[in-house]
Amino acid sequence: MTAHASSITHRRPNGDPPHFAHPSEEEFARLLDFYHIPWEYEPTSFVLERDKDGNVIEAFSPDFYLVDQDLYIELTTARQKLIPHKRRKIRRLQELYPNVHIKLINREDFGKMLHKYGLEDEAPNLVGTVDNGDGEK
Amino acid sequence: MAVPSQESPELPHLGDVLISPDRLQARVQALGAAISDAYAGKDLILVGVLKGVLCFMADLLRAITIPVEVDFLSISGYGPGERGHGEVRLLKDLERPVEGRHVLFVEDIVDTGLSLAYLLRHIRSREPATLEVCALLDRPRRRIMPLNMCFVGFEMPDVWVVGYGMDYRERYRNLPYIAVLHPPGRPEVSSEQSEVIVPAQCADDSEAENKTPPG
Repeated sequence: MTAHASSITHRRPNGDPPHFAHPSEEEFARLLDFYHIPWEYEPTSFVLERDKDGNVIEAFSPDFYLVDQDLYIELTTARQKLIPHKRRKIRRLQELYPNVHIKLINREDFGKMLHKYGLEDEAPNLVGTVDNGDGEK
Repeated sequence: MAVPSQESPELPHLGDVLISPDRLQARVQALGAAISDAYAGKDLILVGVLKGVLCFMADLLRAITIPVEVDFLSISGYGPGERGHGEVRLLKDLERPVEGRHVLFVEDIVDTGLSLAYLLRHIRSREPATLEVCALLDRPRRRIMPLNMCFVGFEMPDVWVVGYGMDYRERYRNLPYIAVLHPPGRPEVSSEQSEVIVPAQCADDSEAENKTPPG
């Protein structure tokens, strides 16, 4: 997985600058910054399953947390075959953490957002092709 | 009123009429009546953001039967030319005071809610007595920011639209109706999405709803 350096001003909770897993995440962060919407990148890892010894065997770290909205955002723009897997994780997260609000933005949603903002020429670079990159965490 | 065909060479990429002029006017009149009832006896000011809201604002203003003022904001939009600036720029600020007054923010269309969230925060910093939203079109499929809107004209499917003030590259604002647009290169709408536009959820069986009167 390629890490993309960021010009975004926001940082992780530990003070490190975010290294985005995909260009679409960096673009989304830039969009949030543009409209002064406070966010954090992967601030929380939710445990979804433990083994009988209490070891974590499945967890889920949503990409963004919108602080003022108390809302997590998961961007899945690269490998669309991961969508069912992501949806299952989100369903499990909502079962275990019913007070956590999360929204999944898929490739189609993000593509429309890019077109809305006149960034259609950059869509291939930002969204990627169907099987490049790996949004899995 | 003649409605241009989508085959018209002067209106490329224009699709079906989504909301006719008659239906638009009926809905705007109903919204105006609901707003007049909700804000009776209150110091009301409508605030819109240029330029997409101009047709809706002009008709809504004339449909309101109580004393009302109007003002406009203008901001830069995210895009190839603006994202280099790093943040939204306020191109035109309010000219009328809003502190202690009842502000109704009027929008042509709400989808992600990102720019609306910024604008509401900007207005809220001026300490109005109340701040509510009236949107002609709501496209909730694309919503990112949670929003409460008191007055909504139509909940619409996930399609691109132009007309009645809304543009595509500054064109089509003058259409007296709202139409679907099929510009080249834009993602197609999912087949499972409804092609039927409906009035937003109403409090009763009429189209003149007021979900949450201002406090």
